[in-house]
Amino acid sequence: MEEKVLALKKKHRVAIAWGQDINTIGAVNKAVKKGLIDAILIGKPAEIRKACKSEGIDDRIFTLIESDNESHASSEAVRLAKAGDADIVMKGLVGTDKFLRAVMDKQKGLMLPNAVLSYVCAIEIPAYHKLLFITDPAVIPFPDLDQKIAMARYAIEMAQKFGIKKPKIALIGATEKMSNHFHNSVDYSVMCKMADRNQIQNCIMDGPLDIFLACDKKSIEIKGVETPVNGDADILLFPSIESSNPFYKGLMLFARGELAGLIRGTEKPVIVMSRSESEKSKYFCIALSCLMA
Amino acid sequence: MVLKKLNDLKRLVEDGPRRKLVLAAAQDQHSLGAIIKAWKDNIIEPILVGDKDEIENICKSNNYDITGVKIINEPNIEKSIEIAVKMVSSKQADILMKGKTGSATLLRSVLNKEWGLRTGNLLSHFALFEVATYKKVIAVTDVAMNIAPSLHDKIAIVNNSVDCLNRLGYKNPKVAVLGAVEMVNENMKATLDAALLSKMNQRDQIKNCIIDGPLAFDNAVSLESAQLKGIKSEVAGDTDLLLMPDIEVGNVLYKSLVFFANAKVASIILGASVPIVLTSRSDSEQAKYDSILLAAAASRI
Repeated sequence: MEEKVLALKKKHRVAIAWGQDINTIGAVNKAVKKGLIDAILIGKPAEIRKACKSEGIDDRIFTLIESDNESHASSEAVRLAKAGDADIVMKGLVGTDKFLRAVMDKQKGLMLPNAVLSYVCAIEIPAYHKLLFITDPAVIPFPDLDQKIAMARYAIEMAQKFGIKKPKIALIGATEKMSNHFHNSVDYSVMCKMADRNQIQNCIMDGPLDIFLACDKKSIEIKGVETPVNGDADILLFPSIESSNPFYKGLMLFARGELAGLIRGTEKPVIVMSRSESEKSKYFCIALSCLMA
Repeated sequence: MVLKKLNDLKRLVEDGPRRKLVLAAAQDQHSLGAIIKAWKDNIIEPILVGDKDEIENICKSNNYDITGVKIINEPNIEKSIEIAVKMVSSKQADILMKGKTGSATLLRSVLNKEWGLRTGNLLSHFALFEVATYKKVIAVTDVAMNIAPSLHDKIAIVNNSVDCLNRLGYKNPKVAVLGAVEMVNENMKATLDAALLSKMNQRDQIKNCIIDGPLAFDNAVSLESAQLKGIKSEVAGDTDLLLMPDIEVGNVLYKSLVFFANAKVASIILGASVPIVLTSRSDSEQAKYDSILLAAAASRI
């Protein structure tokens, strides 16, 4: 991913709301030093300088904008992006709800008209032969059909930015069988037909599929299921946060995964990361947002 | 094998033993006319249950020669139906046909829990059309029996029809699930059901056929129109079976094919232990004859 971003040869300006903690500043510092971005830190200058000093980071490489509270810092970051003075908005130490309120503000926010707000992430795991895109482990608790369609389109768009022209997308369930009683399998069947009819474009879609059939060729042979995804999925679309969130966290914890994720549905990329993510993942998020900007 | 004309069904019944067809409430001129002809053509062996005097009168005044035909005298209509149905359930007959009685009366007996012809499957109507403007016969279901089939019903209707087509020699009939458009539209339930049926077919939950849908009528029967729309489908333009969203669409299509396109039609009821010929009084003698032929070809022997 890093290569892809460096190849863009364009520095993006990132506005970081309440970017005054060591964690955020560390990741931003790395991206600035690599030449990916110029960073605008919004917060209390004294706090920012203190954090930089403790990490041995030269604060002069950042632009500082003074703000005395989290909400204001968030709206200020959004305002900069809206005004064209920043290309990317990033959440610092501010709570996700306060930050997203600024992003989703009807007049001053960054939402595209009628867009579904969702989250897509790319995960790198040694056990899989390529990047795995996952949607939506963070924003939509129980997506309905329209939201699932939006999620699929966002994930396809992201995979395409990584050079995958026609990503294989697996719609994840507990079994590959379709049942009228399982609402998700109904939605999935409808989506597959929409992909057949080019109502969802640029992908090879199948579902319901379980994770094995989606990502493991051997399981395909054993089960004898014919599926165009063929154990080679690029994208996994999950039926709920309750299924996708533990899945990705499990990968991070047990499978040495590294992740890069982004909010979708906004005019400009918006980075939201949880504090517990590694600095490497945070750096990847920034790189991904440059790719998607 | 593909049937080009209804008459091609004869090839399917030539070799085997003649199917025994029992006509309930047999005192019905149109039914008798068609049955006698089918009997003379070696397609079936008739058994007539009904008012013997009336049957003989009808045959006499229409010059039907019924020498050698088995007649069971039972002037009471309900009782004659019961006898006919019991002959089928006791394997003395292979096909049941409705004579001079309402469909509801006959079906009530077919569904009798003790001596009826229940299999646990949904009963559904199956029609086979010969239209000059299509390259082969085309089956249509359900145009007469199930009013507003649920997804569950549609699965049963497809299974009934595919089973019948398999017996007519179609190994993997192509099934088009009809909609007003070929796109999936959340506001049109028919298109959603079509998507689900397609997926169930892919997952082998509906077997021995190839299902695609939604397809609009033109995409289903014309390859050119499917290609113009950019539809990639094994079924489009080559449909063997059209699945109707409901009885209103089905019935109007059925009647417009007959009245505007001069189609020949044969139809039977599926889902009971044997095929049932349940043509209406307004059907021509030819349609009755063709239906008998279809029932004979589709009966399990």
